[in-house]
Amino acid sequence: MDISSHVRIGPFEVLYPVQPAGPARAHSSGSNYPGRLFIVEGIDGSGKSTQLSLLHKWLESKGYGVVFSEWNSSPLVKDTTKLGKKKKMLTPATFSLIHATDFADRTERSILPLLKAGAVVLCDRYAYTAFARDVARGMDRKWVRELYHFAVKPAVAFYFRVPLDTAIERITSSRDSLKFYEAGMDLGLSDDPVESFRMFQRRILDEYERMVPEFGLTVIDATLPVEEQQSQVRRIAKSHLDKAKQLRIRP
Amino acid sequence: MRETYGKLLPGMNLSGLAGRLIVIEGTDGAGRSTQISLLKSWLEEQGHAVLDTGMTRSPLAGEGIRRAKEGNNLGRVTQSLFYATDFIDRLENEIAPALRAGFVVLTDRYIYSLMARAIVRGVDPAWIRSIYSVALKPDAVFYLRLGLDQLIPRVVFSRGFDYWESGMDLNPAHDMYESFCSYQHALLDEFDRLSSEFSFDTVDGSPDAQEVFSVLQSRVLDVLERSAPKAYPFKHLTQTAERLVQNIQPRIISASPQVATRDFELAFQPLAAKPPHKNGNGNGHSNGNGNAHSNGNANGSSFTLPTPDAPDAPPHDET
Repeated sequence: MDISSHVRIGPFEVLYPVQPAGPARAHSSGSNYPGRLFIVEGIDGSGKSTQLSLLHKWLESKGYGVVFSEWNSSPLVKDTTKLGKKKKMLTPATFSLIHATDFADRTERSILPLLKAGAVVLCDRYAYTAFARDVARGMDRKWVRELYHFAVKPAVAFYFRVPLDTAIERITSSRDSLKFYEAGMDLGLSDDPVESFRMFQRRILDEYERMVPEFGLTVIDATLPVEEQQSQVRRIAKSHLDKAKQLRIRP
Repeated sequence: MRETYGKLLPGMNLSGLAGRLIVIEGTDGAGRSTQISLLKSWLEEQGHAVLDTGMTRSPLAGEGIRRAKEGNNLGRVTQSLFYATDFIDRLENEIAPALRAGFVVLTDRYIYSLMARAIVRGVDPAWIRSIYSVALKPDAVFYLRLGLDQLIPRVVFSRGFDYWESGMDLNPAHDMYESFCSYQHALLDEFDRLSSEFSFDTVDGSPDAQEVFSVLQSRVLDVLERSAPKAYPFKHLTQTAERLVQNIQPRIISASPQVATRDFELAFQPLAAKPPHKNGNGNGHSNGNGNAHSNGNANGSSFTLPTPDAPDAPPHDET
C-alpha cells in the first residue's frame, strides 16, 4: 500500500495549482488524456446551455461518445445542497463548500474516469462558476481557486459574454420568480429580488471578465444569432477534436 | 484577539470570541467521547456553559455525509470537502456564536483529524491546509495518544471493524484487519507530524478513563485559569445557554448577540485581548520525522501557501 506518498488526482493539468509550478515540476498538458473536456460559462440568461446542447447534438451525430455533466447534480451531494437552500442555511462559505463537494464527486466518479476512457465530456458550468459566484458572495478569491485545485483543466472553456441588461431581460421574461440564492438575496443587497439579482449578476459579470485573461477563457459574443455562435463553437471544438486520436467512436 | 490560520470567512468577527475553544483529538477508539462527556459534566458543575460538538453533527451536512458513507463510494476529494462543509457549518453557526457567548466549547476532533484523514488518503496536504486556513485557532489541543497495539483491542473487540475506520476505501483488496492496521498506522504517523506542527498537548490515552480524565482536568483548568476569572457565576446562565444551543432551530447565529449580555462581555473582555497560548509539546512526544511538516510555532503560525514542505514531485498517473 502506498498511502505515504502524495498521490495526485491524475496526470492532468490542473486548473489552479496550489503550489506555483517551479522549474523542477514537469508540465503536463491538458491533452494528456484521450478524452476531451469542453465547458460553457456565463451569467444566467447568456444562452450557454442552448449552445452546449447544440454542440452535444453535433458531436453525437459525428459519432463521438459524449457525456454531459451539469452543475450541482451529484446524486451523493445534491440533497444536502437542496436542504441548505430550502432552509436558507447556507452562508457564503458553506454555499461555496457544498458546491465544491458536488463538483468533486462529479470529477472523481464521472468527469475524470470518462476522460480517461476517451469520452468527450461536456459541462454546463464549471469551477469558474464558483470562482465568480463565491467571490461575488465575499469569499476570498485565492481561497476559492485553491479549493478547486482538483479540477481538470478543460480543453476549451467557452465564455458566453452578454450585456447585463440583455441577460436580465431574458431571465425575468421567462421566469415567474427568482429563487433566493439565485437572486443573491442572502447578501442583503436589496429587498427587491429583481434589483438584488441585478446587483449580484453585476458582480458575477465583473468576476468573469477578470477570469478571461487569467484562465484564457474563449469568449463568444452571446448577442450574435444562435446559429452564428454555434458555428464558432463547433469550429473551435473541432480543432481540438482533430488532435485527439484515441476518441471512442460509438458502436 | 482570537486568530485564524490565515484567512477570514466573510462575516466572521474575531473580536469578542471570548469563550474557550478546547479540542480533543485522537484516533478512532482513543476515548475522546468518554473524556468529553466527563469534562462536560465537570465543567458544568463548576458553573461553565459548555457546548460540545463533533464531526458530522451539523444540521446542514451531517445527514448527507452519513448517507453518502453508507454507499461506500465516496471519493477522497469529495469526502474531504463534505467534511469541510460540515465543519464550517458548525464553526459559523455553533462554535463561533458559543465562543461569543462565553461558552467553553469542547470539540471532539477538529481540523487536524480532517487533515490527517485527507492526507493519508493521498490528497495534497497544501490543498487541505488552504481550506482550513479559515479555522479558528483553539486555546488548547489535547491529543489522546494511543499506540496501534492498544488501539486494536479497543476498537476491534468492542465494536468490530468499520469500513471507513479500516480505510477500506484505500485498500479494497486487503482483508479488514490488515487494512485497519495499515490505515490506523498511517493516521498515527500523520497525527505525530501534525502534533509537532500544531503543538498538540499530548495526553497518554492508555490508562483507564478516570486516570486520563484527571490529567485532562488539571490541564483544562490551566487553560481556563490562564484566562477566565475564577468561579465566575455562570450557573444562572448555563441553562438558558444550553437551551439556546440545543433547541433554538435552525440557527443560533442571529440569537448570539443577545445572549452575550453586558456582564459576559465585561467579564471576558480583558481575556480576549490576550494572545493565544502556545502549548509546549507536553510530554515531549516526538516521532523523529516530524520535521518535514513542522514549521516551529504551530499555534501561532498561519497556513501560507506554498508550504515549504509541499511535495514538488510532478503529478503522476495513479494507474
